[in-house]
Amino acid sequence: MSQIQEGVRARVHNPDDEAISSTHTKPPLNASFEKGNANTKLRTLKAITESIYINNEYNKTEKNEIIGRKQQQNYFAYLFYKILLVGLFIVYGAFRYAQYQYNRVKLRIYDLVYNPSNTPQLIRQDVLKLDKIPKRVAAILDMKPIGDVGGGLTGLLNDSSELICWTVSAGIKHLTLYDFDGVLQKNVTSFREEIHNKLSKYYGPSNVPKFVVRIPHSNSMYFNRDDSESEENKKVAIEISLLSNRDGRETIVDLTKTMADLCTQGSLDLSDVTMDLVDSELTQLVGPEPDLLVYFGPSLDLQGFPPWHIRLTEFYWEPDNTEVTYSVFIRALKKFSSCKMNVGK
Amino acid sequence: MLLMKLYNGPLLTAYEFAIELYESMRFHIALRTQKLRRSLKSNCVIKAINEMIEAVLTDIISVGPVPYHVSFIMDGNRRFAKSSNLSLQRGHEAGGLTLLHLVYICKKLGVKCVSAYAFSIENFNRPKKEVDTLMQLFSEKLDEFTTRSADPNSPLYGSCLKVVGDRDLLSDDIKKKVSRAEELTKSEKGFTLIVCFPYTSRNDIYHTIYSSISQVQNNKIKTDDITVRTFTESMYLKEYADKCDILIRTSGQKRLSDYMLWQSHENSTIEFCDTLWPDFTFSMIYTLMLRWSYFTTIQNYNRVQFSLRQELSNKLKIFNRKKKIPIESFPEPPVAVTVSGKE
Repeated sequence: MSQIQEGVRARVHNPDDEAISSTHTKPPLNASFEKGNANTKLRTLKAITESIYINNEYNKTEKNEIIGRKQQQNYFAYLFYKILLVGLFIVYGAFRYAQYQYNRVKLRIYDLVYNPSNTPQLIRQDVLKLDKIPKRVAAILDMKPIGDVGGGLTGLLNDSSELICWTVSAGIKHLTLYDFDGVLQKNVTSFREEIHNKLSKYYGPSNVPKFVVRIPHSNSMYFNRDDSESEENKKVAIEISLLSNRDGRETIVDLTKTMADLCTQGSLDLSDVTMDLVDSELTQLVGPEPDLLVYFGPSLDLQGFPPWHIRLTEFYWEPDNTEVTYSVFIRALKKFSSCKMNVGK
Repeated sequence: MLLMKLYNGPLLTAYEFAIELYESMRFHIALRTQKLRRSLKSNCVIKAINEMIEAVLTDIISVGPVPYHVSFIMDGNRRFAKSSNLSLQRGHEAGGLTLLHLVYICKKLGVKCVSAYAFSIENFNRPKKEVDTLMQLFSEKLDEFTTRSADPNSPLYGSCLKVVGDRDLLSDDIKKKVSRAEELTKSEKGFTLIVCFPYTSRNDIYHTIYSSISQVQNNKIKTDDITVRTFTESMYLKEYADKCDILIRTSGQKRLSDYMLWQSHENSTIEFCDTLWPDFTFSMIYTLMLRWSYFTTIQNYNRVQFSLRQELSNKLKIFNRKKKIPIESFPEPPVAVTVSGKE
């Protein structure tokens, strides 16, 4: 059924239609971590108190009729509840601040406890203590603003290649990297360079582990740093797939369109469209389902990760964490090794 | 020797007696505390106070931002039954009660739609007896919900029920009941309860792909008419299929288990709780809602670029000093010259 895959890949998209992360609305909790809006304590307090006024005036049309109903009932009662709500928010805010500080301290301590500092043997030692490890790991990476520490393209390349080194050292053969805009896909040449540099830092320049970077969307493979496709070079230690928002809902819709076209042409029968066919096509187009998904952000935000592929995936993230660190990675593996799997039972 | 005799004889009896005494005392104490707890719970004064507090708290949070679509994965009924020595059926019944209670709370908060994962297609792999129990329980709850929805005194009055999922897997008897219940509550608009029974998200996506293709084949739509939006709208959940604001999963597992994959993989808050589903109470859902509401307020504030001072000065007009004057209306500046004397 390579006809279907070709058809899906051939579908061109208007670049204006493509979603970019600036238009992506984050879940509320993650949005509060965005810099640039100056999310200080004072501003938060202002936001909360002024919300008494805002929701009356601004979002009247946007807000549902509940407010309208309440206002009709009794404006003063409404205002009274609103003030109580602000009080509740302030109490919650104080609690949340304490929680945030606590989590940050906890993460610091974990960072001290698990510190591999470029030593693959230590990583393997850590992994050997576990009962089982996942076959395929996926990670969602955020590109931070350019001004931040570890931000911009360089920060992203650095983080992802570091993650690849840990994965190689842990002995996991497949890694899927997801970033919303597909920045890694666009900069695949410099990405390979960076991976090579990082791996030689870990393993020494003479025996850098072999790797392959795959972009399932364009069906391309890149072996090592310089496309030397000899048989010897194809025995890779790790396979890295790069995904972006494009591989999510849009791919499923494209698949539907292509199959619909083939059906009208008569080269595909409607009764052949089964769950297994859809599954195998999507596996070809996007990749297999990961066993563990690690998110290096403050609270779980899947950002449009291919929906078909997160059926039974275990999620892991550390609350209030914003950095790609080894401690999060190894703790995710630890969590995975203690998980029970029982489908439907 | 003597010690042995003594040990086997009176000492042992004394020891046994002591143990028995201790056990019975412990049993009595446990019984008392349980009775006390129960009487506290059933005491109408305390119950009334509790309900009043809950009502006020819900009213407070309903004036802030409220999620549109809340979804539950009801996990942990069986473990609950095991841990409190109940039969499996009792566990599932307790879970059903919790769901109705939560639906009521959500409705009062102003949530437009609540969906719940009642039965997965994979669950047909469970022992036949349990599946039958679940089916029976489901049809009972269905009737209960329909009567409650029609009863003006009930808190669930005026809610619409939808059962989504692969209906071909249900027995004819239940299928009839489902369509009757849906027909009866169809006209209600204020609040919708979606019960996913038997449902998996992959089945949902596959079903939509299949129906879109067959629609194209029957020349009802063209291929280019299929977009992400139309695709989403033709899923089982129709207008609620695009996004679920909060997805709550109980009993500690951190995975989606084939539920709401399409709905929750973008922009939604996914919460995992360690409690078992029947233990999921008002205070827990309240904290989650408060948390969501708090962060949404801040997010909204950052979005609207609001300034209280400007708003007030606009209202009062007195301080409105900044007037916009076009540059053409300014007087001409003096003659411009250069020091080099050239033009």
